[in-house]
Amino acid sequence: MDKDSCKRILGLVLLAAVMAVIPAAVGACGSAAQTTASKTASAAVTRGGDLTLARFQEPLTFDPVGPSDNGSIYLIEQVFNTLVEPDQTGNGLVPGLAEKWDISPNGLVYTFHLQSAKFSNGDPVTSADVTFSLDRAANPKCPYAFLFVDVKTIQAVDANTVRITLKAPSTPFLSSLAVFAANIVDKAVYEANPKAFGNKPVGSGPFMVTKYSRGNEVLLTRNPYYWKLGADGKPVPYLDTVTVKYVPESNSRILGLRNGTFDAIEGVPFSEAKSLASTSDISLGVDSVYNLDYLYINHQKAPLSDKNFDLALNYATDRQAILHTVFFGYGTIPNSFTPKMNFWDKSVSLIPYDPATAKQYLAKSGYGGTTIQILVPAGDAPRLQIAEELQQMWSAVGIKSAIQQLDIGAAWNKVVAGDYDVEVNMITSDVNDPDELATFEGDYWAVGDSHGFYSRYKNREVTDLLAKARETSNAQERASYYGQIQKIVYWDGYSVPFNFTPAMTAYSDHVHNFRTVAEGWWWLDQVWMSK
Amino acid sequence: MRVIGYTVRRLVEMIPVLVGITLVAFLFMQLLPGDPITILTGGKASPQTIAALRAEYGLNKPVYMQYLFFVRNALHGNLGTSILQQVPVAQLVLQRVGPTVFLLSYGTLIAVLLTVPLSILSAMRADRPIDHGIRIGGMVTFAMPSFWLGLLLILLFGLKLHWFPIAGWGEGFLGHLYYLFLPSLAIGLFLAPMLVQSLRSSLLEITEAEYIEAARAKGLKPTRIMVKHVLRNALIPTVTILGVNIGWLVGGTVVIETVFSIPGLGQLLIQSVLYRDYPTIIGLVIVFGFLVMVVNMLADLSYAAIDPRVELG
Repeated sequence: MDKDSCKRILGLVLLAAVMAVIPAAVGACGSAAQTTASKTASAAVTRGGDLTLARFQEPLTFDPVGPSDNGSIYLIEQVFNTLVEPDQTGNGLVPGLAEKWDISPNGLVYTFHLQSAKFSNGDPVTSADVTFSLDRAANPKCPYAFLFVDVKTIQAVDANTVRITLKAPSTPFLSSLAVFAANIVDKAVYEANPKAFGNKPVGSGPFMVTKYSRGNEVLLTRNPYYWKLGADGKPVPYLDTVTVKYVPESNSRILGLRNGTFDAIEGVPFSEAKSLASTSDISLGVDSVYNLDYLYINHQKAPLSDKNFDLALNYATDRQAILHTVFFGYGTIPNSFTPKMNFWDKSVSLIPYDPATAKQYLAKSGYGGTTIQILVPAGDAPRLQIAEELQQMWSAVGIKSAIQQLDIGAAWNKVVAGDYDVEVNMITSDVNDPDELATFEGDYWAVGDSHGFYSRYKNREVTDLLAKARETSNAQERASYYGQIQKIVYWDGYSVPFNFTPAMTAYSDHVHNFRTVAEGWWWLDQVWMSK
Repeated sequence: MRVIGYTVRRLVEMIPVLVGITLVAFLFMQLLPGDPITILTGGKASPQTIAALRAEYGLNKPVYMQYLFFVRNALHGNLGTSILQQVPVAQLVLQRVGPTVFLLSYGTLIAVLLTVPLSILSAMRADRPIDHGIRIGGMVTFAMPSFWLGLLLILLFGLKLHWFPIAGWGEGFLGHLYYLFLPSLAIGLFLAPMLVQSLRSSLLEITEAEYIEAARAKGLKPTRIMVKHVLRNALIPTVTILGVNIGWLVGGTVVIETVFSIPGLGQLLIQSVLYRDYPTIIGLVIVFGFLVMVVNMLADLSYAAIDPRVELG
């Protein structure tokens, strides 16, 4: 081949390389501008700016009564308000759209007095909007209607007053009104086009949705009519906008945070947490939330129907090892069958790791060598690792097991049908009163027919204690009842709990006040940036 | 005119195939365990709520009636409403088809731009170090899982060099070109090795032909011989391989879309299957089937464009 031919061939190769460079040149100006420069944090609140938040779940709808996924719920909380709201930690209740309320002495009638608030389109929030929204939440088609089964009537007394009458006293009711499904929508906007509301919501919250690109991103813009004031006496939010990006791959979220594309990320894998925490200019958020990682047990199937066998599983499980190897030390070993919520009793003793005692309980149960099927949602590496460790630990005391991986839908189908032995999974709560979850999990006969959230666990004493805790408004009594419930159910071997798992987030040092509240979301109206 | 007639005929032939695909997909979905309403409501909803929602989505009707309703609505351009996202399926699919088609086209373009010069260089320097280097390099990138290759590209060009963004697909045509360069490069580096191998073999075979000897004897320059006489005759098998692999990639972009957070059809498919969002799955099956058939049709049309001896029809 002569020199000219070589040159021409190489020229073609270079042309291909140039074609590759052009897209970089197009974006070069933009990429230079995107590089974050300021690393200095300011002590005083600074207003303005756009926070770019990367999440691993996308919102499916902004209609409060539609979803049960956190991808939707956490952003719904930024756009709407409820009558009463979780406080800054998520554990207590504070006034929301209701500036005050009265409860009748018999605990049946709640009267809410609305504050002067407006939706993001300037419409005033009235009792008509409230009754409309709560009627929708209580409608049987709403997945969270079970929280409002005690509601008898919802009435608009006047334009600024709403009266709710219950069928029976229910202390947890106020917390139910703070759940995402009870967010107040603009009735006129919804009725004008119900199908469009989930895409173009109108709420009274700190932000409004100005762009919703499914599978890509959501742009939240400050609501100019928002009524809450910040530390500087001016209305919040401090930020102008929040760009919420859907980034399902955890490595991509972490790389994006490191290179400045994202200001904050959620869903930090435990394996990456220490590395991120030791990175300059990046802070790790480890926040206590209502989240429990545990082993579901099907108490309907032998040998799991025998309490001795369930206790044997607990004594044979080295939770400290799992906390170290799977969760990299983040979290605490649970002494409960529910997440750590209000009225959690720290005095309930932990079931220790004790293989010898496990063998004794195993012998009492008369275990005949049945292989226990450990169900794991497919593609969930940490849960698979837990299952593998359980298999090894149980094998050491003589319990046979096998791991079965199924996709989420198929696995959940088996759990609901009762066609499972044990499943490695987790549970969270959107309500800050313990009644909802404790009843769901601990009461076989509760409304909804989930039979103890598909555990088929039965204990009449627990059912009676739950009813008492629900009816009394005395905090000390409630604490006593829930303490007893926690001890009984936990020591019945209801499940094998692994971790009160914290929420793991990470953010650049120029981001302030970004933290996860107990229910799992963040109060973005309190976040500000110094850059 | 012949090309137009052929194209119209192929498009019409796609219709019964699409109908058959939807029927098979519908039947297979019934075999999947898991109820979309139970999954959607997270297990806390009462039986009354679940029954009400099942009725709303027509899931309480017999399977054959559900399919007939679907066909009737589809003939009116209505692919139903997504159970998961509560928006029309057609709207969801139309929003996501753009990124996927752009990604595939861009990736194919990069693959072709890499393939042609590298194949020619490799064939003209057969069994020399440069030939071995191209073939070994191709084997390395082909063997890498696309997930890992994507992350390596992000690490180098996104994190270290800050040359390209690492997520999303940008705004406007130039924005898409910029944002999708790395994922398209990942696709191109996967496709190119197969194409280089095929084209290189075809080029070497054809350079042995008598008419090529005759061209050399006439004094034509090697580059001119290669581009004008050898390349076009060697392209047909490579176009076939390209067509088959693009068809496979139509459904296989989900890994690249996930790594680079591109809002395409692949991600939507995975989400729909996990949540048993039946209407969206059927909508996607129709789109994927259509795209694969269009790619095959374009491959057939390209044969006629490359080789005048090939007759359409």
